[in-house]
Amino acid sequence: MTADITGNTTRDAAAANGTRPATGARGTSVVLQNLGRAFGATKALDGLSIEMAPGELVALLGPSGCGKTTALRIVAGFETADTGSVLIDGKDISSVPAAKRDMGMVFQSYSLFPNMNALDNVAFGLRMRKIGTTDRRKRAGELLDLVGLAPQARQYPHQLSGGQQQRVALARALAIEPRVLLLDEPLSALDAKVRLQLREQIRTLQQRLGTTTLFVTHDQEEALSMADRVGVMNKGRLEQIAAPDELYDQPATAFVAEFVGVMNRMPGELQDGGMVTALEVGVPVMNQGADVGPGPVDVLVRPEGLRMEVIENGNGIVTTRTFLGSVTRVGVLLSGDVTVQIDKASSEAAALAPGTSVQVSLPVDPVLVAPRK
Amino acid sequence: MAAVADTRVVQAPRRAARQRTGGRGTVWRWVVLLIAAVYFLLPLIVAFRFAGIKAFGSVISEDGFTSSLGLSVRLAIITTVITIVLMLPTTVYVHLRLPGIRRLMESITILPIVIPPVVLIVGVLQIAPGSLKGTPYLLGLEYVVLAMPFAYRAIDAGLRSLDLKTVVEASNSLGAGWTSTLMRVIMPNLRTALLSAIVLTVALVLGEYTMASLALYQTFPVWIYVNSQTSGQVSVAASLLALFVTWIFLMAITVLGTRQSRKTGGGSVTLFTVARQETRGN
Repeated sequence: MTADITGNTTRDAAAANGTRPATGARGTSVVLQNLGRAFGATKALDGLSIEMAPGELVALLGPSGCGKTTALRIVAGFETADTGSVLIDGKDISSVPAAKRDMGMVFQSYSLFPNMNALDNVAFGLRMRKIGTTDRRKRAGELLDLVGLAPQARQYPHQLSGGQQQRVALARALAIEPRVLLLDEPLSALDAKVRLQLREQIRTLQQRLGTTTLFVTHDQEEALSMADRVGVMNKGRLEQIAAPDELYDQPATAFVAEFVGVMNRMPGELQDGGMVTALEVGVPVMNQGADVGPGPVDVLVRPEGLRMEVIENGNGIVTTRTFLGSVTRVGVLLSGDVTVQIDKASSEAAALAPGTSVQVSLPVDPVLVAPRK
Repeated sequence: MAAVADTRVVQAPRRAARQRTGGRGTVWRWVVLLIAAVYFLLPLIVAFRFAGIKAFGSVISEDGFTSSLGLSVRLAIITTVITIVLMLPTTVYVHLRLPGIRRLMESITILPIVIPPVVLIVGVLQIAPGSLKGTPYLLGLEYVVLAMPFAYRAIDAGLRSLDLKTVVEASNSLGAGWTSTLMRVIMPNLRTALLSAIVLTVALVLGEYTMASLALYQTFPVWIYVNSQTSGQVSVAASLLALFVTWIFLMAITVLGTRQSRKTGGGSVTLFTVARQETRGN
């Protein structure tokens, strides 16, 4: 498929001109080894290590200032790491300038060149690789067609909508057959509907072309729906990197658990022997960190991990009820002024009007614990 | 519906009042415009009548006209080239790498306007190398300093209308080095700003008198002054011609700038003003 779209001519022409031909979309591995970067006293990256398999899409997810964009910019060559290295197909590229890294990048802000129309924007990277006019126009046209913008080829960036501009930017990044595709929050400036369409388009294209892709976002829904693996970052460190379902079901730390999805905090008592007591039930502890010891802790449970039944004089009272489609999220006030969110099938939630007395219980499944807030 | 009707009834007198006020405003605008027109055009009309049509014909054949105009044109070219070569990369570098010193740059670049030209030229004549004295390059280098405030502001205004950092990084990531990025991406997007800088520099050089006179160069303005001692009419005709040529330059920049702006959707960049480009929704 790659050959159909970007063709062998690119590599042949590049080879003829003495430039390094792109290695092709498939088969590029990326390794970030112990990356460190500080801005003054602030550590933006603190020993970040990630291994990306060829053709994999890895999303870096985290709050603002967690270092995810710095990591991406180091891979792109726009920042230099204080420590560590970036390996592409096993070769250290830390000292290679950005212009010679063969990486396609899509930026958060619309980064099209205002003086060029859509076709010339897409063809720019090919022009820099000294591909002939006919070939590069043909290829740029194919890429625009691929992102569904062939009719807009002659339009200038200001004549395109935000979504269209990002699609042109994507086509431009893919036109050079990048070894790695870097996406720096490309959807965050778009409205919800366009964002949804474009993220599906990016994922489909990435899988079709098999381009190894590093995607930075603060939107967990985007990360979980698009990526093969998601790395959650906090304060310059990688808290956990795993497949989306694993990240959700088996978070390694309390930060990951609370950052990904909705998480309840309830008071509990940690015992010796890896058991915690909450809601008068003893349950095993999952991934107990060094920062918690026996005594009062918070128990972390997802809304679907709690059970609830209507009962007179139960341990909680329903306070809110939010319809979410097939499930309804019910807010329950427990004794001790603790509020928890519990998901119930919408068909069963009709009886749970605010003010209803309920009994909330904890299944005997492993739970995460965190220091008491 | 009743509520709507009521609102209309209330709005009607207001609209009429606004129209009355607007009418007075329009009259005042015309009055101000007329006063300004008289202030600016009356001296030109008087000068034109004083010079007479014949003087325009004899300007070219006057002694020293061609050589002084030639010197001024050479100075304009030298000054413009050096100014752009110095100021464009400097301003781009400040925007990209040292945004924190932009205010300092604004202060520094305003100095040539604050310091009288006579101070600059007297100081320079004391320390200028002998090889430069008597050549147009000495005056050209002085004019570069004089043109700096205008060139910096014009280029700065152009760069502000561009998301420079992202555009440069996008260009780099696509394989373009610094020269290609400057020539193919930055400069085409600064066309209007550069044109502004060039026109302002040329206009400044063609009109500068003090420095040229003190450094004993007979540039076009110096020639006009010297000639006015012997032939006032020809001198005034030459002044009017110079003014007309400068005006043509300024009109050209407005027309070209507007055309370029319409094509690329860039903000309307005039001499020192800039408006960011807008995107058509999502």
